[in-house]
Amino acid sequence: MPDNTLLSTAAWSLLLIAILAGCSTSSIVDEQRSDTASLELSSGERLVIMGRRHGNSYETEPDFINCISNNVANTGKFSVMPEQEFLDTLYPWFEPRVAPLKLQGMSKTLAITVVADRIKAIGIRYVIWVDGSTETTEEKGSMHCGMAPSGGCFGFKSWDKTSSYEATIWDLKHLTEKGKVKVDSKGASYMLGIIAPIPLIAQVKGVACEDISSQLKGFFSQ
Amino acid sequence: MAIVLNTKFSLGLTIIVYLLLTGCSTHVVVTGEHPPVLVQPLDYNVGLVLNSSFTDYSFTREKDDQKIIITLGDSQTQLFSQIFEGIFTSTQRLQVKPQITTNPMDLVVIPRVEKLQVSMPDETSLNVFEVWIQYKLEIFDTNSALITEWSVSSYGRTQTRFLKSTESALHQATNSALRDAGAQIVIGFNRIPKIRDWVKRKTGSNNAR
Repeated sequence: MPDNTLLSTAAWSLLLIAILAGCSTSSIVDEQRSDTASLELSSGERLVIMGRRHGNSYETEPDFINCISNNVANTGKFSVMPEQEFLDTLYPWFEPRVAPLKLQGMSKTLAITVVADRIKAIGIRYVIWVDGSTETTEEKGSMHCGMAPSGGCFGFKSWDKTSSYEATIWDLKHLTEKGKVKVDSKGASYMLGIIAPIPLIAQVKGVACEDISSQLKGFFSQ
Repeated sequence: MAIVLNTKFSLGLTIIVYLLLTGCSTHVVVTGEHPPVLVQPLDYNVGLVLNSSFTDYSFTREKDDQKIIITLGDSQTQLFSQIFEGIFTSTQRLQVKPQITTNPMDLVVIPRVEKLQVSMPDETSLNVFEVWIQYKLEIFDTNSALITEWSVSSYGRTQTRFLKSTESALHQATNSALRDAGAQIVIGFNRIPKIRDWVKRKTGSNNAR
């Protein structure tokens, strides 16, 4: 009987250790600014945060862009235009195949009168391009689940996730690049199968979103 | 009691047979509005011929006991109508190529779907749903002479992790491909060398009058 208690205590201790140590996420944030002054945003001016989707192997996830846009907008200090609304309003000039990749290209796009007029009308002062993705880098272990009533899930599975994103701020008024923010986050997630599956998920993408959002907010507020 | 059981058994069997017959089939009807185009319209009167093979277009693929049907006739009809109404000051939608004498127009455009390809996540290393649509646009002048045939290849994809079902993923990937086709037509139309030459000639003859 005491052996059972000991076994149970050990299992719960292991689970607790896994919860505390397993879901940790590490993040590295790097920032470059063209000058130390805060970026100005007059009344009626807005910013838009957009994902890069021109690559073959990945595209910046729309939910990640929404996460940053919501975080930046939630401060109440800035007006942020939703990405999809901007894309629809300026269709087709910012579609993945034709969106300008460099400021030189943006200058050509703004040379088109109807585009320049529309951007002015909707008050977009800054475009923040976010490029990157979240990938599952390593998967280990396995889990097997059987049918009820005698079944259940048994096993152990783990996987690592890596988020790597870079945000670049363009000032459309002066056609200059105002800065960059780079975030690299890593974390390991676990799934324990002890009759019921117990997920211990590391919020890698969520951490990357929080980090990049707070750095971007820092560019505007002082 | 036996009759009730038999009825239940028949109903159950019917449901199972129905599920077996339809279970491996995915039918997507592409819907949704396309945004209006932002472009300075060219001052021409254009006829856009959308025949029934275009307006009722449906794609079917059968592979490894899996059937995929994508019906996109309505959606591409709406897209092409909207695009050409944006590119030109006057666009008339037609079902057949017009006679020269009855209805003179500067240009007549007849689009058709040449090819549609679908790729499922288990078929590529990218783990995404992909859709390619290849359009061919025949462009005729006022005299019904062919100016050029223009091929437009568009692409759309959706990552599996964002979506709940195969239907919604294919729907979104097809919509992305349509959106891409629209972008290419809007931006590329007056960059086609033969269209540029035609515009030059047209502008020259108008100035000479």
